Amino acid sequence: MVQEMFSLQGRGALVIGAAGPIGRAVAVALAEAGANVAVATTTRSQREEVVANSCANEIWALNRRGFAQAIDAASESDVEALMQRTLSELGRLDVLVNAPDLPFAKPLTEITAAEWQRVIDVNLTGVYLACRAAAQPMLSQRSGRIINVVSVLGERGMINGAAYCAAQAGVLNLTRALALEWARSGIRVNALGAGWTEGAGLLGQEDARQQLERYLPPRRLAQPEEIAGAAVYVASDAADYLTGQVIWIDGGSLSRA
Amino acid sequence: MAVLEKLNLDAKVAIVTGAGRGLGRAMTLALAEAGADLVVAARTRSQIEETAGMVRARGRRCLTVPTDITDSRSAQAMVDTAIAEYGRIDILVNNAGGYTPGTGNPLEEITDEQWLVGIDTNLSGTFYCCRAAIPHMLRQGGGKIVNVTSGLGLRTVRNNFIYTSAKAGLIHFTRALATTYARDNIQCNLISPGLFPHQDPATTDQSQAGRFVPTGRPGRDEEIGPLCVFLASELTSYMNGQIVALDGGGLAGGQAPTGFAPVVPLATDALKGEA
Repeated sequence: MVQEMFSLQGRGALVIGAAGPIGRAVAVALAEAGANVAVATTTRSQREEVVANSCANEIWALNRRGFAQAIDAASESDVEALMQRTLSELGRLDVLVNAPDLPFAKPLTEITAAEWQRVIDVNLTGVYLACRAAAQPMLSQRSGRIINVVSVLGERGMINGAAYCAAQAGVLNLTRALALEWARSGIRVNALGAGWTEGAGLLGQEDARQQLERYLPPRRLAQPEEIAGAAVYVASDAADYLTGQVIWIDGGSLSRA
Repeated sequence: MAVLEKLNLDAKVAIVTGAGRGLGRAMTLALAEAGADLVVAARTRSQIEETAGMVRARGRRCLTVPTDITDSRSAQAMVDTAIAEYGRIDILVNNAGGYTPGTGNPLEEITDEQWLVGIDTNLSGTFYCCRAAIPHMLRQGGGKIVNVTSGLGLRTVRNNFIYTSAKAGLIHFTRALATTYARDNIQCNLISPGLFPHQDPATTDQSQAGRFVPTGRPGRDEEIGPLCVFLASELTSYMNGQIVALDGGGLAGGQAPTGFAPVVPLATDALKGEA
């Protein structure tokens, strides 16, 4: 049965950035598909920790194992420790989802070097750190799925988006490069390209959101669950031959002039 | 050779289709200024005669060949006439194209004929011209093809089926040409113009026309000239199968309304790793 190929029963998954709307929806979707799921924050903020804990609660409510951990996604030691805990509590790592998301938008001349560095560190370097940490278990078991969540702003520019857009574009091509590097090691590396999504940090004020809703082809934002469905496909045996790809879930906005 | 000298098109022969007005005329005049002798083709004789006068005023030879590129015999005759006059073709600019009847129609109202006319005008016509000209370029040991697509060949809008499909096809046709003839020293590239209003400037509100362009204004016809010369010159001897969008930034965005400029500072506890 083709549907059975989508099952993640017994798999171990780690979702970084699970306090964001997409990361959280992906974590829950993976759990619904059968995986045990560890979740981590993007930064060590209290707000994020609260959301990550409630995400872990949802995972437990689905009778899966998992835990929530507050980390700074740009911290090498945090990411290494998170990986060790994941391996010891879940017993294995089959799926790594990188969805760290530090929203930021400012005119270039007003961006400080520290802000720029921080946006790159969390949104791009954090993905590198997590991929590197996942290499050991995934290479030794000769299987694994890495799913990087990127924004359409990695493919297109936006006023005040220089730092964020640059970081997202970096993740896109990190995905393609790593897919090739590990193609013969059984590890699949893909990206989910998310359009403007409900609850995303970059949405800003309510009027900006309404402006976007009128602008987008479906005349509405994406629901986080609409991004998460594709994560189940990409994480599963159904996507065994898929690597180095970006699946855009953008309501058609990249197709339109 | 100094780099700017590579832009010199002295002794080159260029054909431009759709050369009677607008972007085609602008590219024609820029090629003439760079030194090329011209063949100007379009359906309307009076328009290409006017363009030819402007070429000759720049000291270059110019041949006018009334042509309907959607008729393969007419396209072949255009090339034959050029060869008879000049003995060579170095540059072919396939600019002819545009909206045809039915372009904006809802899908179910597009007739078979409207569809075919649109595809002929924006895709097949360029195929006919390339098929006729490339043997001469091969014989000469090289050549340059510049095809004109549109932002609508890369992305699209509602209720545009004919034009957007043909222009997208043109992009891949050009890539196939580029791939096929790369070893024969023929470079094939594309210009993708953004918004270039061709209406009478006196009656067109230019500020309104540019509202959705990031630079805030539509393009001016003469701005396409230098790009065409660049793609027709020795400067692009290794550039092949590429698209240059001359669109005031139109294709760089497209994920938020024009001018959308959010300001989202870093959360105070997000700048440092530790809360």
